[in-house]
Amino acid sequence: MPDEPRASDYKSDVKPIWCPGCGDYAVLAALMRAFAHLRLAKENITVASGIGCSSRFPTFLDTYGIHGIHGRVLPLATGIKLGRPETTVIAVGGDGDGFSIGGGHIPHAARRNVDLTYIVMDNNIYGMTKGQPSPTSPEGIVNKAAPYGAQEGPLNPILLALSYDVSFVARCYSGKIKELTDVLIEALKHPGFSLIQVLSPCVTYYNTYDHYREITQPLPSSHDPTDRLAAIALALQTETQYLGIFYRDSSRPSYGERFDAVRAKAPQTTLAAIFEGLKR
Amino acid sequence: MAKQLLKGNVAFAEAAVRFGLQAYFGYPITPQSEALEHLSGRMLREARVFLQAESEVAAINMVYGAACCGVRVMTSTSGPGFSLMAEGLSYIAGSEIPVVVVNMMRGGPGLGNIQPSQADYFFMTKSAGHGDFHPIVLAPASVQEIIDMMGLAFELAEKYRTLVLIAGDGSLGQMMESAELPPMQPLPALRPNWAVTGADGREPNVITSLYLVAEHLEEVNLRLQAKLADIRQHEVRFVEAQTADAELLLVAYGTSGRICTSVMRQARQKGIKVGLLRPQTLWPFPAQRIGELCEQVRGILVVEMSAGQMLEDVDHAAGGRVPIRFHGRMGGMIPMVDDVLADLQALATSLGLAP
Ligand SMILES: Cc1ncc(C[n+]2csc(CCOP(=O)(O)OP(=O)(O)O)c2C)c(N)n1
Ligand code: SF4
Ligand SMILES: [Mg+2]
Repeated sequence: MPDEPRASDYKSDVKPIWCPGCGDYAVLAALMRAFAHLRLAKENITVASGIGCSSRFPTFLDTYGIHGIHGRVLPLATGIKLGRPETTVIAVGGDGDGFSIGGGHIPHAARRNVDLTYIVMDNNIYGMTKGQPSPTSPEGIVNKAAPYGAQEGPLNPILLALSYDVSFVARCYSGKIKELTDVLIEALKHPGFSLIQVLSPCVTYYNTYDHYREITQPLPSSHDPTDRLAAIALALQTETQYLGIFYRDSSRPSYGERFDAVRAKAPQTTLAAIFEGLKR
Repeated sequence: MAKQLLKGNVAFAEAAVRFGLQAYFGYPITPQSEALEHLSGRMLREARVFLQAESEVAAINMVYGAACCGVRVMTSTSGPGFSLMAEGLSYIAGSEIPVVVVNMMRGGPGLGNIQPSQADYFFMTKSAGHGDFHPIVLAPASVQEIIDMMGLAFELAEKYRTLVLIAGDGSLGQMMESAELPPMQPLPALRPNWAVTGADGREPNVITSLYLVAEHLEEVNLRLQAKLADIRQHEVRFVEAQTADAELLLVAYGTSGRICTSVMRQARQKGIKVGLLRPQTLWPFPAQRIGELCEQVRGILVVEMSAGQMLEDVDHAAGGRVPIRFHGRMGGMIPMVDDVLADLQALATSLGLAP
């Protein structure tokens, strides 16, 4: 077996322009480590993104990549996976991109169970547009577009993913890069749709490192990730933000498998037969 | 009211409040977010409605809903967000309700960049959604004019029960300029009689864009077209400068129009007799006046921050009577006075008008 590739092999020559200390650096590093660990060939990886600071991601990788449309990374990645089923497709984006403007796409990616790894870098804020509240900002957050406090409560991404029946659901923290890498490896191996919420602080507009250091802890070692109800109960505990794999169901066929099965039922025809049909 | 130094985005937002804006729904996007940020505090202090929506699709539908209730309402955005609003704009036009939308155009297509552009001209004037309609499109060229046009936008929207778009560009939104805001105006005392306000004691008002019977929809289309004809006849606005003796004509709007004012001044100093027509309404377009000027001038130079979109309307208005040249910059680039002047001089020389 050839030597394991190095994480840096996956790095492009574009230097990330995130602010020093931005949580997204750790996500990039962890994903490259996961690629190396799994010995993925660069030319078999596509990283798609939406729009936001986090969505600058594909540029920094020497894999195939596409910087898409704000909120549309899941349909984009679905198209890529159906167009090139043999590639590993990773979708990345922010909390605004994924849970606000793009929120409507998550249940459908879940229903299809397309074989995608979706990494949401959740900084609880709109970083790129300079600090307006996002759908995971805490209620009452005071910032530029909420001078008297945001009136909406935050949504709970893990709970949502579990209720949409996403087949692999995990939460990580960019302050814990080793654990993040391990989860990404499992997610990349998962044969279906995986959603990983990475708590990834924005040091410039909403620095939550101290807060997350305090309230995060690993999922109880007794947790059985095939037990969806137990996962839901743990997701409901928001004062403690549990880290790790909440839920995984590896037995569920992916969209590709189901599609092949359904297509096999359709009467097969040839191009020649179609032309013959047109003559009549 | 005294003049003060104001940023374009803050100026139009504050002007809207003073002209009686009752509800604002929007989604952050550069180079327009300062408007949303200004209104996030300002509207609450006035006990009015502000909401940051989950997307531009949501924002325009919230606007649609509030407008149906007879509330003075608006949103603001830039290119990619404006694209997402197109579906709602078409329904709003079909439902004939007054709505104001500001689009601070940025470089495109696609994500493009956040630099100024005028490349949404076709989209805004001719095809802001499916179906047969035109919004009124206003084109300010200074911070003062954005302020004044905010008032005009609400007035026209309500007078005609129509969609009014303000075609700004990134540089107008971002620039700081001395300007005067209007005094605070009282909110409308009554809701309009067509609005959905609760039908207790009267016939219900129905607001819809759905007409399943072809004959009925055609009647509605004809009524809409009659209204548009009325607007075309009465609401054309433009600024004309030094056209009395002009042999050449510059046609440009917004930021390009400002640049052409400088071009005109310098050309005049060189002895080139040039005038300027700056459309303030892009729809309805001042085609008639351009046509009249074609009887007098020998050539036209159109300047835009696009590949030449308004150019088609100028071309149509001129009807082949005089040669038309074009100077355009794209991708967020702004035309330079010297470059436009050089093209103008070349046009003058080609027509034998060089001094
Ligand atoms: C249709 C559309 N609307 C708005 C924007 C402006 N915009 C760019 S990124 C962004 C939000 C970014 O927030 P998030 O997804 O949380 O990413 P972050 O920057 O925090 O990583 C917005 C609103 C856009 N690009 N396209
Ligand atoms: S603004 Fe925030 S999210 Fe964006 S790069 Fe800087 S720290 Fe990261
Ligand atoms: Mg974010």
